[in-house]
Amino acid sequence: MNYVIETHDLTKRFGTFEAVSKLNLHVAAEHVTGFLGRNGAGKSTTIKMLLGMTRPTSGSGTVLGCAITDTKENREMRRQVAYVGEDKQLYAYMTVDQLIRFTASFYPDWSDDVAQRLRRQYQLPGNRKVKALSKGMRTKLALLLALARRPALLILDEPSEGLDPVSIEELLQTLMGIAAEGTAVFFSSHQIAEVERIADRICILDHGKLAADLSLDELRRDYRRITLGFAMRPPEHVFEVPGVSRIATSGRQVVVLAHHNTDEIVARAHGLDAASVDVAPLTLRELFLETVKASNDVAL
Amino acid sequence: MLLYKGWLESRTRFLLSAATIAGLSALFVFMNRDARAAVTDRDVTYVQYLWSAIYKGYLRDIFVVVVLLLGMGGLGREQAYGTAGFTLTLPVSRWRHIVTRAAIGLVESTVIALLPAALLPLLSPVVNETYSWSLALHFAVLWAFGGAFIFSIGFLASVLFIGEYSAPIAGVAFLFAYSIVTDLPGVERYVIDIHDFMKATGPHGLSTLATITASAITLIAVAGRITAKGDF
Repeated sequence: MNYVIETHDLTKRFGTFEAVSKLNLHVAAEHVTGFLGRNGAGKSTTIKMLLGMTRPTSGSGTVLGCAITDTKENREMRRQVAYVGEDKQLYAYMTVDQLIRFTASFYPDWSDDVAQRLRRQYQLPGNRKVKALSKGMRTKLALLLALARRPALLILDEPSEGLDPVSIEELLQTLMGIAAEGTAVFFSSHQIAEVERIADRICILDHGKLAADLSLDELRRDYRRITLGFAMRPPEHVFEVPGVSRIATSGRQVVVLAHHNTDEIVARAHGLDAASVDVAPLTLRELFLETVKASNDVAL
Repeated sequence: MLLYKGWLESRTRFLLSAATIAGLSALFVFMNRDARAAVTDRDVTYVQYLWSAIYKGYLRDIFVVVVLLLGMGGLGREQAYGTAGFTLTLPVSRWRHIVTRAAIGLVESTVIALLPAALLPLLSPVVNETYSWSLALHFAVLWAFGGAFIFSIGFLASVLFIGEYSAPIAGVAFLFAYSIVTDLPGVERYVIDIHDFMKATGPHGLSTLATITASAITLIAVAGRITAKGDF
């Protein structure tokens, strides 16, 4: 598989706090990859390291084949990568047209056609100062500046943060549109519904570590929540088979999360005279919550 | 286009500073008869009065402050405003950002330094006085070099202290401490007093100009190195 982002044991420490810990990330080309995690999980720090804004404490990484710690390669990489930051702050003292002209001057592949089309579509007033734009309008302007340079990779950090539902919908439509044209999209979020809607792969980061990396197809096809009811409390270890990621017992009910061996677990449950057996696909929300919970349990 | 960005960022500060220096220069010329007694307690000539009011005293202090403020800004401030992410992801090296901002600031401080020099000879005939162009040019050179040094202090302070008020306060505090140190007995022989230099009462030969230039470049380079290595 062709990867647009690869990291090897990427680590960032701030004093004694390890924000990102030995991260091995592989983001495929021509995919929309959602980068999930709780607040403070290390998503923004990872993105900043990828873009050369923050230096890794150790480890290495490449974006579009360019080493992130090599200033020259990193600069070349930034010609082909567009980034929309979490707060979408742009130069408040410029007008929309001034900012478009300013940004265009740095990118040889800049498309005036795309810029003009998006300016009309987003109804951005060219002579209005950026500081007079709403957050939704600023997000649209940031997207225009990102897309008109025709990037090979679009990185977004919490793109829907602070937007109203209509603006979020427009944003998601835009992202799906550019992904369909072949641009790789890597976006961090803790809005699971949005990720589930547009991503085809997800990476879950927790406490700076990669807790899950899978495609949504894999999630739908393989991951199952198996809820078992018994007449009396059963021994948990019976269900400890390969592929089980979590077993939670509450009274006479056992919930098993598994990505392999579902049939084996069900067979063992029947062998213990289970009163009820319910197998259901796992949603991304459930996977995320279970992954984070499991990670916290290990941390504790 | 980075020059354009730098100009848009600093133009309000620059234009206000230039208007202040130009306006006060003109005021000192037009009010010379009334202000002469207030500025000096002796019976002085027109040229001595202008030196006391502009190059030695009030206007020089204001010039120092406005040039120090021209040094403020940069990626540290952009980080506080939230625009550093946009700036740093442009395909431009951090050194280019630094050099561009330094170049704009130095040009602006030089233009402000030239304003009294241009206005005094031009306006003096209006009040039936004369002020020589050569003397004005002499002080313009001293202010341009002194301004570059003070700008570089502000430039470094804005890298070390990213708070909106902490950087200018640190810059002023440093200049205050520097003034005290340079006035200490014995020290004045080894350290250039930038205030004496700008009012032409201290050494201001070529070697002094070279030392001040080297100091300004060093301070800007230190600020650049900190920025180039920093996390944003």
